[in-house]
Amino acid sequence: MNRLLALVRREFWENKGSFRTTPLVIGGFFIVSMLMGIINMNQFDSDGYTTSMAVEELGKMSAEMRGEVLYQGMLGSSVMFTVVMSFVIFFYLLGALYDDRKDRSILFWKSLPASDTMTIASKLLTAMVLVPLMFLAAMIVTHLLMAIIGSIAIGMSGGNPWTLFISESNPFKVWGMVTASWLANSIWALPLYGWLLLVSSFAPRVPLLFATLPPLIFSVLQGWIEFLQTFTLKNNIGSMIKDWFFNSPAILTAEMGDEGAGIALGVPLSGHFDHAVTLGNMLDRLFSLQMLVGLAVAAVFLFGAHWFRRRATES
Amino acid sequence: MTPIISARGLTKRFGRTLAVDHIDLDIPPGRIVGLIGPNGAGKTTALKAVLGLCTYEGELSVLGKNPSTQRASLMEDVCFIADVAVLPRWIRVHQLIDITENLHPGFKRERCMEYLAQTKVTPNQKVKQLSKGMVAQLHLALVMAIDAKLLVLDEPTLGLDIIYRKEFYTNLLNDYFDEQRTIVITTHQVEEVEHILTDLIFIQDGRIALEATMDQVQERYVELMVKPEKAIEARNLHPLYERELFGRHIFLYDNVSRDKLHDLGELHTPSVADLFVATMKGGVS
Repeated sequence: MNRLLALVRREFWENKGSFRTTPLVIGGFFIVSMLMGIINMNQFDSDGYTTSMAVEELGKMSAEMRGEVLYQGMLGSSVMFTVVMSFVIFFYLLGALYDDRKDRSILFWKSLPASDTMTIASKLLTAMVLVPLMFLAAMIVTHLLMAIIGSIAIGMSGGNPWTLFISESNPFKVWGMVTASWLANSIWALPLYGWLLLVSSFAPRVPLLFATLPPLIFSVLQGWIEFLQTFTLKNNIGSMIKDWFFNSPAILTAEMGDEGAGIALGVPLSGHFDHAVTLGNMLDRLFSLQMLVGLAVAAVFLFGAHWFRRRATES
Repeated sequence: MTPIISARGLTKRFGRTLAVDHIDLDIPPGRIVGLIGPNGAGKTTALKAVLGLCTYEGELSVLGKNPSTQRASLMEDVCFIADVAVLPRWIRVHQLIDITENLHPGFKRERCMEYLAQTKVTPNQKVKQLSKGMVAQLHLALVMAIDAKLLVLDEPTLGLDIIYRKEFYTNLLNDYFDEQRTIVITTHQVEEVEHILTDLIFIQDGRIALEATMDQVQERYVELMVKPEKAIEARNLHPLYERELFGRHIFLYDNVSRDKLHDLGELHTPSVADLFVATMKGGVS
């Protein structure tokens, strides 16, 4: 166990920039935008709309409504962390078993008493747990700073930040939901993570192309065959991947109420999963038949990654 | 004594070519073995098999373990330096020490720090900021702090200047080697290691061309330097190899009595380098 953690720490050292700096930059972006918004409202002409008016409007809302607005707003702010985190994990895994082959440092890593299984486990654990935790920490810090700035702005505009704002917020619920959704997504995304590690373990160069081209070519070919045939295949690879992605339990949109399917990244959510942000809906995915198939696929990919990793020093 | 490395019919194929061709080998503990061969002879491939870094055919046992299936546990007792370029460039010195300490049960931090204190390497530096010589010192410091039973060095001083190379072998011999440990070295700089070796293995086209202790080498082989008029006589005694230097003929003999040769000219003990060239070109078995 200590060895596994030592290897995870190694991953952190190597990727400090993307694991720690990236979420802090997103947090900085939120803080700066908020400050600019407040300054803009008070110092410059913004159609006469000032923070005092905003505070007044806030005061007219029911406490329940204020709580809901805050909850959805905070949940919504997590989307940016989620999206950027996905990119960070994607590129991390793509290089995880590739970079040390390229610079030959694999010969050093293999001189240490850590099995290939443990090495791959450490990379997977990093992607599934360490990176989400780093982003979570940055998001919490961002929320706290925003709460302080918001309270000061409300206070300066004559409102009471405690009754208008702080007491109605439910940060632990937001953080809990986001954490749950990220961890659930770590499991949901295992087929993708396995695929990336597999590509990373064998690609002779440009792992990005090796990761993206085969599914792309397959989808196009399948679509083409479908087009030529009189009957249509129900699911082609492309639409399966798309469905899988949009069925992710990660919160990709903050939904108001329970209108059912919302909009994620500009694409309508489809499939038979309920996209309302609830723990039940996350678990619903993890205990689905799709998940079981996904885990089997992931296992095949990871087995392949291990096979290649063992032979990475052959020639 | 049970051998540290024991191979029977060790073979490695790359497609149709045999990189290692049915090698039988026993290396006992407490030896410093020089594995010497021309480029592409299969030295590195054989060592990779020993270290569990490639698949192979035949039987191979290292410290009683099967390297292809038990690499991780084998590495607790085996260290290797492939060449100076393999330490990850992004890592800091103290991180490298931390992770080695966490993964290696036999790692002694104080020993590593002691050794590093004699160099210009500082804990906060990244490997990419170090010179090639300093990287070699760092790697050696890590390895010397591990209580390993077998140390494998594959061209450990490639690209280093003579000062670092000398220092590397001096440290290895003075601070590391003892009766319990075995060191296997491959290198092209034969002259630099020949005085520290206890055993010699020549490898050619994936096969062992010569396997002997240094004592045996000194007993068996003799170099004779003769004037041209005696050359024919010397040639009749079936030398392994003949070369000319400043008008003198130099012959290398295997197992020819020194009394017979004494009358013909000057006798020398051949250097490993000369023996190597003779073996490779003469095609001795």
